[in-house]
This record gives sequence, structure tokens and C-alpha cells, in this order.
Amino acid sequence: MAVMKLNVIDLEKSEYTGGKSSLCPGCGHDQISNVIIQAAWENGISPEGIAKMSGIGCSSKTPAYFLGKSHGFNTVHGRMPSVTTGANMVNKDLSFIAVSGDGDTASIGIGQFIHAIRRNLDMVYIIENNGVYGLTKGQYSATVEKGSKKKKGTANKQAPIDLCAMAINLGCSFVARSFSGSKKQLTTLMRAAMSHRGMAVIDIISPCVTFANNDESYRSYNYVKENDEVLHILDYIPHFSPLEEVDVPEGEFEEISLFDGSTLRIETVGPDHDPSDAVSALGAIHEAEKGKRHVTGLLYYDSEVPTATDSLALTETPLVSLGEDMLRPSEEKLQGVNEALRGN
Amino acid sequence: MVKIANDFVVNVATANGTGSQSSNLILMQSMFEMGVPVSGKNLFPSNISGLPTWFIIRASDKGYQAPGDETNIQVLMNKDTWVEDLEKLSPGAIVVYNQDVKLPVDREDCTLLGMPMTKMARAINPKLARLMANMYYVGALAHLLEIDDSAIEKSLNAQFKGKEKAIEMNTRAINEGKEYAAENWSFVCDYCVESREKDTDSFLIEGNEAVALGCIFGGVSMLSWYPITPSSSLAEAIIGWLPELREDTDGSSTCAVIQAEDELAAVGMVIGAGWAGGRGMTCTSGPGISLMSEFIGLAYFSEVPGVIWDVNRVGPSTGLPTRTQQGDLTLLYEASHGDTQHIVLIPGNVDECFEFGWRGFDYAERYQTMVFGFSDLDLGMNRWVTSGFEYPDQPMDRGKVIRTQDDLDAMPEYGRYRDLDGDGIAYRTLPGSGLEPILYRGTGHDEDGVYSEDPRVYREAMLRLKKKINGSRETLPPPIIREEEVKEIGILYYGSMENSIVEIDDLLEETGLSVSTCRVRALPLHPEIEDFIERHDKCIVLEINRDGQLYGILRKEIPINLVEKLHSVAFSDGMPPRASVYAEMVMDKLQED
Repeated sequence: MAVMKLNVIDLEKSEYTGGKSSLCPGCGHDQISNVIIQAAWENGISPEGIAKMSGIGCSSKTPAYFLGKSHGFNTVHGRMPSVTTGANMVNKDLSFIAVSGDGDTASIGIGQFIHAIRRNLDMVYIIENNGVYGLTKGQYSATVEKGSKKKKGTANKQAPIDLCAMAINLGCSFVARSFSGSKKQLTTLMRAAMSHRGMAVIDIISPCVTFANNDESYRSYNYVKENDEVLHILDYIPHFSPLEEVDVPEGEFEEISLFDGSTLRIETVGPDHDPSDAVSALGAIHEAEKGKRHVTGLLYYDSEVPTATDSLALTETPLVSLGEDMLRPSEEKLQGVNEALRGN
Repeated sequence: MVKIANDFVVNVATANGTGSQSSNLILMQSMFEMGVPVSGKNLFPSNISGLPTWFIIRASDKGYQAPGDETNIQVLMNKDTWVEDLEKLSPGAIVVYNQDVKLPVDREDCTLLGMPMTKMARAINPKLARLMANMYYVGALAHLLEIDDSAIEKSLNAQFKGKEKAIEMNTRAINEGKEYAAENWSFVCDYCVESREKDTDSFLIEGNEAVALGCIFGGVSMLSWYPITPSSSLAEAIIGWLPELREDTDGSSTCAVIQAEDELAAVGMVIGAGWAGGRGMTCTSGPGISLMSEFIGLAYFSEVPGVIWDVNRVGPSTGLPTRTQQGDLTLLYEASHGDTQHIVLIPGNVDECFEFGWRGFDYAERYQTMVFGFSDLDLGMNRWVTSGFEYPDQPMDRGKVIRTQDDLDAMPEYGRYRDLDGDGIAYRTLPGSGLEPILYRGTGHDEDGVYSEDPRVYREAMLRLKKKINGSRETLPPPIIREEEVKEIGILYYGSMENSIVEIDDLLEETGLSVSTCRVRALPLHPEIEDFIERHDKCIVLEINRDGQLYGILRKEIPINLVEKLHSVAFSDGMPPRASVYAEMVMDKLQED
């Protein structure tokens, strides 16, 4: 019998897989699901401690295809962040991994996306961004670049919403962009996002093979491969295994310490970019847009932002674990209230 | 002369934002301190400052709380409504007016009592004269109605709790008003306030604050809210009481509060909290419920507990934002697209506001569904009497939650949506537990929570949901029935109509009718309601809306042979229900047959 590889909490990778995908063969979203499985397994996160969240759309179906041992909630269109917020308030110990799409986030859900960032909700917010609405047969979404053209119909004429630029402007504590076809870069960013405490947005270009994988589409496999401007070579060094083999040679890198003690090691290979500098990150995004290219890597990072629950001074024990003795004040307290209201 | 004690209506006309609310509450509270049954209605505009406001105080030994048909004493402070307010008065009314407004008071058939209120206030503090002027009519009425000094003093102290300077200045203003009236008005008032034995336990409180306290004692663990009149004061009362009632010894809180970006987010947070195993709630009004509707369907279909308090204001659309109505009942009962049905708790007084505040969470978790509390602006934002709130008489009901592997192992047939007990309520496990996780979804799902479009699976799931909610009928608050021996007319009503029903009942019985009443306190309907209808010759469904919303629900749900007994009397103009309006409509309805 073959010896199965175990992660740091002695689980096989199969403990992190999910049901069979019903998406189109070759869909970028399935590659992302595999990366989520790989990253959660490699990071040794207990599946039961994860909550999978999603809205509506092709992307939002994917929580059925990964992490089958975790509870999840496939909510309503564009409003997954609020459901995540409520769950986070009462159980801050859950690790929220959320999947959304460009329609779900940039159109119907843009308000909730913005306010989740403002609160620095402790979650990984994955945007599977293909520029089209798949389930309704290929309409343009609000993230598609001017001039980009899907398989059928005319080129897009409206200006795109760049979700990473928006997130950076809103003070999001972790903002990255990647490509579903860049397995190594995406896995590293995903692992770092899972180690981050606060809102980690990863905007992932994920080609729609059915409606927008023609070469004139800026989100087709061929286009992205040729126009990907990689900022860094990245290595994730988990806190439990500091000797893991790394690609970036010692002495030529910067290191970012993540919340759980893990490290993201960064070597700049693209345009000079400092992830703690919002202006430089926004500059890189705008330069890439001008050149009709996609800039990928860790765009912005700030470890100092308090999370939504930090600001509320809740009990150390998650609220869902409190008993009636903590949740219902005593009868004496009620008598005190009555007396106070009597003016005594 | 024999005076008319404790049976009169005072109407105070002021402008919004002039601080008159303090004066009005002191007046009302001081009558209450003397043991007199009193009610107050604040008729305010949707405006921060300047538009007209009226405050109606009714004293009634009979305990009538509806606004009276006539004003006996009119206070005029507002130049903008001066002429109309005067015109509306019946001959013989007493008019106390601020002479400094310098408008004519052309009603020779009324008693006209002027006082230079602003000028006198200016002598105390020129900067605050506009606000202080209102305290002079308190003094004037204290003189006319013979209100005890001690009652005024106690009420004033309570109103300006601890603010010594304010207490001193306002006391002076009231006393000066009183002295001026005594020295300049030879008129002897027909009406007076006469002390009654006061229940020393009683106090006045707004319905919204009562609900807030109920929710806190119900163990609310997350409040998300978006400001909207008339529900904002409910959320703010929770926020106000939390530090005293829900802080751990280290000062950390056992309840999270989030001001959401809109009502859609507020209800999404409630659902997230309920899904994770917490007690989430929000409060809003009709426009908020409309926005929340999609999410409410998700809670119904995926079976997630949560509580929403709707403090009804006048719709449709933005409507009359500061006026009262029972116009959201149907909306709550069937909120969201597709076939849905929700539990609605309908308090009729502040004691029930408190009780349904805590019970709401128990019902929500028992039935794994969204539960509504249904209040309205009249009940929520006016002050009503209670003798003190009663502590919950049962421990928190957390519903069917499997919390351990052993419990799960004892249930080999477990499926998130499998009806193991035959009551339509399935068991659930919580995120973080690792026990039989599923992906909750608003899409069709089978008994194990797996996506399904199978026609049989869908239909059975919908029938089970129907069974589940139907099963709540007998456990929800039963109707309050006051029944006559002769079962001629039965009146069905609900919510804040409670404040007018005694007077309506008296008006009808004066005509020789025998009238029983049945106050509905929850949806779906309790079986006793059907029995009540069956026992009576004719039933009137009385409500504060245009279309007869409860009437519609009853017609749909009671046996067809009883439907012909039912008649609808529905009326809404934004005002709190005046007894005579409804009594006349009932008489007309009875004469139609």
C-alpha cells in the first residue's frame, strides 16, 4: 500500500477535497479550487475550523467542490460579505474562505465588498474574475477592460472597475492579483492570505473557456500568459516548518511576517514595487492597464489594521460558545432595571 | 362648581426642535406621578427642526388611551399652525397661548388665556428663551389643572437627571408661569387632575425600549441595524443598555453591534450569525423589510434562525415616515418570493414588547426560521405604563442543535433536512463543530443538503416547511380573549389597537350590542382564534390599514363556512386610532347586512 503524504496535522490531502465539479471542462475556477485545497492542506488548517462562503454565480458554486469537511454557505447574489460578517461576529475563531465572482463582487455586490473591506473583516476574499456572467450565458461584467472582446458580440466599451485598486484605496490589509494558470504564484499567495488576519483580497484572472477564451479577450489563457507582468518571485515559509525548500535565494529578498508566524519571502523581478506602499501599488496597476497587461503578485499589505471584531472588544470566548449564564442577565439585574426605570 | 377630574384632552402645538418634548413629557409624567391614567401621543414631522409638532395628552380615569375626539385645552406656541389649530377647536375649549407670537386669537366662544412666555423666558436666559418658553405652559397648566408641585418637581428632576443648572432654570420658569396664571387669569378651569392611588411599581416606557430590554434578556449576541424611523431608538436602546447588562467582568461585551451599510447587509448579518449558532437580530421599518425580502427567503428555505423587529410606519414607499400604521402584516407573514410563511409576534403593550423580545429568539431557534416582532410607531415611540418587566419563566430554548459526536452517532439517519421527529423540524450542526458539515444553500436541496432539482425532493421539502411552521401555531402566544356571555359581536384586532379597544368596546356596548374581543398575538393563527369566530354571530376584524390585512389572512386560513361571519373594518390616516372613528365604522358595517 502506498504511503499517503500527511500534512502538519496528520491529514491526507483527500480530507480537503470536495464534490465533483459541474463547471465547464477547463474552467479556471476549477484550477482555483485545486489551489484552495492545496493551500489549506499545506498550511495544515483544520478543515472543521474553516467556513466556506460564497454568493451566486459560477464561482460561487465552487465551495461544493473543495473542503468537503467544512461547513459552508452559498448565500444570495452579491451579499456574501454580510453573511460572513454576522458569522464572524459570533464566531471569530472560524477561518472564512470566501469565493465570489466579478459579477457577484463588482456589480450587485460592490457595496458589501466595500464595507467588508472598511471593517477589515477577517476573511480570505477570492474573486474568480473572468469578465463575463457565465450562468446567464456570457454577458460582460463590470471588470472587463475597454476593448476586450468575448467570443461573440461587440467589444466592451465601458471603463472597467479594478477591484484591486479599489481595495487598496479603501485601505484593505492584503491585496493580491494572480492568474488561475499560475499555480505556484497563486498557491503561495493563497497560503499567505490564509495566514493573514484581516481582509485578504485575491483577484484571480480565471478564463471562461466557454464565453471568453478567444484571443481578443484580455482574460483568455493565451492573452494572460503573454501579458502577465509578474512583480515578484514569492515563497511561503510556514511557521511550523522554517526549513521548507524555497526558490528565492538568501540575501536577495524582503520578508513579510504574517499573523500566524509564517513568512512570505519576496524577490522583486518586475517593476520595482514595495507592497507596503499603496501609491506604488496603484501606479503598477495603472501602468499595466495602460499597456493592456495584467500585473500579478502581492500588490499591497498592511499588518496594522484592526479587524472588525478587534474594534468591538468582544469576549475572548467566541459568542456562540457562551452559555445562558453569560447571555441572559440575572433576575437581580432585571429588578435593577425596573427600579431604575421607576426612578428609584 | 363640580370639576371634571381626570377626563380631558390637552393638545400642545409647537414647532419641531424647540425642546417642547421635555415640557410635554414633564406634564404627562407629573399626572402619572399623581396616579392618574394618562397617555401621550407625539405627532411629529419627518424633519429636524421647524415643522409643526403636536403632543396630545389624555387623562382618563376609565383608562382610555386613544386620542380623544375633542381637545379640551389647546396650547398654542407655533405661529405656523396657529390659525388652523384655533379653527379646529369646539366652542368652550380653553386656549393657553404665547402672547409673544403676536398673532390674533379670534375665538370669542373659547376661553383665551395669554402669557408673554418668550419675554419671561428671556429674563431667565436670553439665549435659551425659545426653549425655556415651553416651560411656561407647563406652569400655566399646573395652575389650571391643579397639578401637585411635588409631582412636577419629581418629573422635572427625572427629565433633566443630574443637570443641576437645567433643573434650576426650568423650575424657575414653571413657577413663574404658575404665578403669572394665578395673578392674571381670574378664570377657573372646569377640568382638574385629582390624585389617585398610584401603583408604586408602575412606570412609563416606550415600546422600543421595552423590546430592546427583552432582546437583551433573550441573549441577543449580534445586533446589526441601519437607521430608520421609527426603529432607530430600538437599536439605540440596546446599545445604551448593553454596557450595564451584557459586559463580562473584564469589560468585554457578550453582544456584537454593527451599524450596517443598508438593510440588506443588516439582515445578511442576522442570517450569518444564526447560521453560525448565534442569536442575531435587526430592527427596521417597512422600507427595510422590502429590501430584506430576498434574504428572508434564504433564511426560510435554508432554515436559519434570526429575529427582525419591524416598527411599522405609514407606507407604501417612503409614506409618512413619522406616522403610525399596521400596514406591514401581510408583508411580514409572506415576505420573499415563492411560497413562504413566517412567524410573526405581535405585542399589544410594553409588557409584551419585553416578553416577545426574549421569546423571539427561542421561537427562531426552535423552528430554525426568521421570526418577526411586529410593533408600530405608536407603540414603539410613545410611552406606556407597566408595573415592571417579568423575568423569563423558562430557560433559553436553543432548538435542535447537535453539539457532540456522541449525539450525532446516536442518530444514524441524520441528514440536515431530514425530519427524524415527525414535527417537520430537522436537526442542525454548527460551523466549526466538524459534525456532518454541509454547504448551506438557497438552491433546491435534498434531505442531506445536497443540491437537487428533483421534483419530488423539492415538493417534499416545501411540504415539510409548511408542516414545521404550522406546528408552531399552538406554541405561539395565544390570543387574549375577553368574552361576553351573549356572543353577538366578536372583534378581532391586534397590536397597538389595544390602546383604543376598551373605548371602542364601550362605545359599541352603549348602543346595546354585546361585544367580545379577541386580540391576535401571533401568526400563524392560533387554533383558539377559529373557535372564537365560531362562537360568535358576527365578527369584525379591526385594523389600522386600508385593505384589512389580517382579514385577508383569516379568510384564507379559516374554514370556508366561517368566512361569511367575518367583516373587515380597516382605517388608516396615519394617526393613532381614535375610538369613535372605528366604533362608527363598526356600526356602519353591522348595518350593511
